[in-house]
Amino acid sequence: MKIHVYAALKDYFQPEFEVSQLVTNTDELKAVLLTLNDKAGDILSSCRFAVEEGFIDNAFKLNQYDTVVIIPPASGG
Amino acid sequence: MADSTVEIPALNGLPLDIVRLLSLAHHPGAGAVVLFSGEVRDSNRGQSVAWLEYEAHAPLANTLIAEILAMAKQRWALHTAIAQHRVGRVDIGDTAVVVITASAHRSEAYAANKYIIDRIKHEAPIWKCEHYTDGTKEWGNNCNCHTVTGDAARHIYEHDR
Repeated sequence: MKIHVYAALKDYFQPEFEVSQLVTNTDELKAVLLTLNDKAGDILSSCRFAVEEGFIDNAFKLNQYDTVVIIPPASGG
Repeated sequence: MADSTVEIPALNGLPLDIVRLLSLAHHPGAGAVVLFSGEVRDSNRGQSVAWLEYEAHAPLANTLIAEILAMAKQRWALHTAIAQHRVGRVDIGDTAVVVITASAHRSEAYAANKYIIDRIKHEAPIWKCEHYTDGTKEWGNNCNCHTVTGDAARHIYEHDR
């Protein structure tokens, strides 16, 4: 599964990387990401997730071929 | 003069041409045109700001801003709704975001304009990194509604207050 992160998340992770563990939803993905950086808990709890240019929630079933975009809280304007 | 809700890109890597955007907003049925320009100031929370760097997830931002403009046009019967946001480096005094609304009367144009900028600031996947004059930088001023609503997808809007 490919992961793309933006903005402040780049202080915790590489902009693009891959997760090899089997994850089927966003909660499981968050748990895997915390094993990569346990300091990312606060910011991950405030993020939204997107697949194929649409926001998803924990009910969305992820598969290993998805590219997941992790969206921190907005700060435009 | 044009109905420019969808024709104008929501993101722009070059300085925003406010005069051109305003020229596109005029409409024979509009007695009021409201233009909001969000500009980069030289200080924030006691820090001296040198410039801002904006990053966006372009596909999501384009889609979301188009939806916001369409909703505003319908809700306030606008003749024109335009929004464009900078990406990349934006210097002090430069425009980071423009929202223009045109309607028959001013109350609708004002209300719609506030609604649009409010939702863009809370929801659009656009982020600013503040570069300070001391050489440090920080991603900041994030929407923190989730600390109240408990849901990153739920927001508290100024236009609802």
